[in-house]
Amino acid sequence: MIVLEQKKFQEIEKMTTGYNRLLVLGCETCAAMSFAGGQRQVAELASAIRVARKTTGEQGEVLEEAIARQCEPEFVDLIKDEVSGCDAVLSLACGAGVQMLAERFQDKVVLPGCNTTFLGVTEELGVWSERCAGCGNCILDKTAGLCPIARCSKQLLNGPCGGSMNGKCEISKDVDCVWQLIIDRLTRLNRLEMLEEIFPVKDWSPAGHGGPRKMVREDLKS
Amino acid sequence: MTKDELSTEIKYPPCKLACPILTDVREYIQLIAERRFEEALASIRNLNPLPRVCGRICTHPCEAACKRGQVDEPIAIPALKRFAADGPWKGRYKAIMPDKSTGQKVAVVGSGPAGLAAAHDLALLGHHVTIFEALPVLGGMLRVGVPAYRLPKNVVDEEIQAILDLGVEVKTGVRIGEEIKLTDLSEQGYKAVFVAIGAHKDRKLGIAGEDGFEGVVSAVSFLKAVNQGENPKVGKKVAVIGGGNTAVDSARCLLRMGAETVHMVYRRSRDEMPAAKEEIEEAIHEGVQVSYLTSPVEIFGEDGNVSALRCIKNELGEPDVSGRRIPKSVPGSEFTIDVDMVIAAIGQAPDSSFLDNELTERDKRIYVEDPYALMTTHPGVFAGGDAVTGPATVVEAISAGKRAGISIDLYLRGEPLPTTEQMEAVETAKLSPALIEKTRKFARCSKISLPAEARLKGFDEVDAVLSEDLATKEALRCLHCFLGARIDKEKCISCLTCVRVCPLGIPTTTKMGEIAIDPFACQACGMCVLECPVRAIDISLDPHSKIAREIEWAISRSQQVEPVIVGFFDLHGNFRSSDVESLRQDYPNILPVMVFGLRRVDTSDILKAFEFGADGVLLAGCPSDTDPFPETADRVKRRMAHARTMLEALGIDGARLEVCDMPDEGLVEKELIDGLIQRIKGPGQAR
Ligand SMILES: Cc1cc2nc3c(=O)[nH]c(=O)nc-3n(C[C@H](O)[C@H](O)[C@H](O)COP(=O)(O)OP(=O)(O)OC[C@H]3O[C@@H](n4cnc5c(N)ncnc54)[C@H](O)[C@@H]3O)c2cc1C
Ligand code: SF4
Ligand code: SF4
Ligand code: SF4
Ligand code: SF4
Repeated sequence: MIVLEQKKFQEIEKMTTGYNRLLVLGCETCAAMSFAGGQRQVAELASAIRVARKTTGEQGEVLEEAIARQCEPEFVDLIKDEVSGCDAVLSLACGAGVQMLAERFQDKVVLPGCNTTFLGVTEELGVWSERCAGCGNCILDKTAGLCPIARCSKQLLNGPCGGSMNGKCEISKDVDCVWQLIIDRLTRLNRLEMLEEIFPVKDWSPAGHGGPRKMVREDLKS
Repeated sequence: MTKDELSTEIKYPPCKLACPILTDVREYIQLIAERRFEEALASIRNLNPLPRVCGRICTHPCEAACKRGQVDEPIAIPALKRFAADGPWKGRYKAIMPDKSTGQKVAVVGSGPAGLAAAHDLALLGHHVTIFEALPVLGGMLRVGVPAYRLPKNVVDEEIQAILDLGVEVKTGVRIGEEIKLTDLSEQGYKAVFVAIGAHKDRKLGIAGEDGFEGVVSAVSFLKAVNQGENPKVGKKVAVIGGGNTAVDSARCLLRMGAETVHMVYRRSRDEMPAAKEEIEEAIHEGVQVSYLTSPVEIFGEDGNVSALRCIKNELGEPDVSGRRIPKSVPGSEFTIDVDMVIAAIGQAPDSSFLDNELTERDKRIYVEDPYALMTTHPGVFAGGDAVTGPATVVEAISAGKRAGISIDLYLRGEPLPTTEQMEAVETAKLSPALIEKTRKFARCSKISLPAEARLKGFDEVDAVLSEDLATKEALRCLHCFLGARIDKEKCISCLTCVRVCPLGIPTTTKMGEIAIDPFACQACGMCVLECPVRAIDISLDPHSKIAREIEWAISRSQQVEPVIVGFFDLHGNFRSSDVESLRQDYPNILPVMVFGLRRVDTSDILKAFEFGADGVLLAGCPSDTDPFPETADRVKRRMAHARTMLEALGIDGARLEVCDMPDEGLVEKELIDGLIQRIKGPGQAR
């Protein structure tokens, strides 16, 4: 899933000031699962904005709405009317969702209520961690299923750097050295010799370094 | 409908499903837990005109079915019913009277629970009811059968009076069939008749000597005499033959009336004994001796009086059609006990001699065409209660009376009678051992009874009514069957939060993320309801919408005493309704919202309170020893910490949110409230 985090309230308050009729719009997939933008958090944030507005004296209504995914035009179009009646939309989706809104509602101010952080997993309820950097050319077959691009601080491809200490990354005691994990796992799998193969220089163009990415499936598109 | 479909379709809790009149046990128990005692009584009384009687002597099939019984011990349902029905608020119940009379006259023959229930329901439907009762007193077996130490007569009288107050007429001392025949009733303008004459004729023992001597008495006539204050002669050494409630009651009465030894003689073993287990235990506790597997053979006498009873030992053979094993006498095992009185309590049949040719009988009982509609072969004449079923129970008699009420009303309006079959007994589903293990156990309240010596001095009621403390505690043991979480499949995004937060491990998922919550297993703790990020879960016990509404309502009613504080109080605390009252008096600025656990309060609710104008929020959780889900407490505390951070971000002092545990007794410490008020008002300002 894409992991998101709600922005600090002060930031949200500042960016929403002046937009009297404000629609707080939730996204019921990744944002909800991140406890950043599902209906529950929409209610909480909308209420918070109302309380804050009471103290600042700012007028206007704060509305609440949520759709299944803000990254899909069909869902977005379903709330046309609500959107047209307000001064700005505070989107609690990832950056993709926010931009889809901006695209569909050309004349409307759209504001991001969340920071899109990473592609990751749920370790347990309330704990998420990064697993994939979306590099466009997956190498997990060679690295025992552990990604050095997403999880090595230096994105090293041919083994750990000299800063690996007791299995931890030199940037923090709390960060596992992914190379240590790779070596441990390959040892368990009895495949350590795989590391003898030297990685060629990685082609970063599928990772977006060749410009914005786009994917077209001729068989599916209209 | 199959049993399975029925139990999932109807979603009645086991207690309600087990009750012949479908009393909403769960509802009134919940109201007691909420300290809303008057409403608890109303919930019972709307269905049952004899709640104080039932609270004392109902055989409580509800309790046997109670889900909590699978965990530790069932909820003490009768004790709670009696608490609700006996409290000082009892006189305040008002029945909803019909707008106008239908002008139709209905005769009810017999004033036992069946007749009374029918009279009550028919009167509320606007019919003009007259009860004809053969005896000089009303109440049937409640008045002349069940002894006062279990059911004080004033209780029966008061409940009957409330029924008569609905405009029901009575004619006592009139045995229908003698001066007035059934057929005469229609000539007198009665458009329908309900025959509820009970089963008052004792069966004969059928042994030698039964009719020859002074001192052989039938149980029903003995109890009738005792209950009507006739002080019948009692022997010193008495044998009571039989194993039902009538036998046990006779035995216990005898002890209270001066018998030195009372010996019950029952032909099967204790397990088969039809009397209620508790009753047998009480009798033995009071000193009654019981000979199981024993049958009487012959009664001997001297000078015209009973002098001895000859018995024989039995062993149990093959089961008969009813599934009970047939006792077979053991040759050569005869023995004799010295007695000067023998009471025969081996079952009763209706005394329907007066019905000659008027009604059909089968197996010595009045025959009805449909056990639900209760019409006899004679149009317009209905029958029910013991007279139809043979000796049964009070609640079955009430059920019959209520069904008769429905049928008669339809009959009078010329509409077809119901043919609905009586609901089959549905077995309570079994809980998994893992769930039983995870469910917190709470001891059942013990009953308070007179010591045995004090009991035998007279007919004082043996069991006392529960105190408010005990009653609320007991009510809080209820597991809220079928009031729990329900997922809106359309909204669910399979995020697994519910699976992760449930303290009992109830929600499950399939590979494709279809989440299911077993509605019988769920105990309605409410945890998943709030944590679900898309609000896909709803719950019937304290739903989130209700809590939000209550906050708004409380604030809208606030008397503008500042600072306005919304106080959430956990119903699981050890407090009384009077504590809530004194809080309201001492702190009119605190607006209490009562909840089944602080788990039900979300950050957004706290923000809502501020949004609606509160100056502060107080959350008082129950002491951990009374919390049914203590494992959730930590999560709730962290949720509150999050709320505090949120408030701070809004520029509201986080100290305006006070989260505390309730004291061991009472609602909340005064100092704590004063502290909160102080903080809200700012330094230097006193309350
Ligand atoms: C000793 C004893 C203890 C019991 N204990 C319990 C208990 O603990 N729990 C429980 O649930 N049940 C108990 N029962 C059973 C319960 O009392 C009966 O099942 C119930 O009272 C039946 O109600 P009914 O209205 O059908 O008949 P009854 O209560 O028997 O009432 C019938 C009425 O009709 C009157 N009557 C009869 N013939 C005529 C006529 N021709 N004209 C006018 N009136 C007439 C009778 O005088 C009587 O008042 C007990 C019964 C006895 C005898
Ligand atoms: S190699 Fe690339 S695609 Fe594969 S996990 Fe790492 S970042 Fe993601
Ligand atoms: S736990 Fe409560 S609702 Fe469930 S059967 Fe027992 S009394 Fe009824
Ligand atoms: S918490 Fe809500 S959205 Fe998540 S799986 Fe459960 S019901 Fe579905
Ligand atoms: S209400 Fe409580 S017990 Fe029921 S499923 Fe949800 S978390 Fe579990």
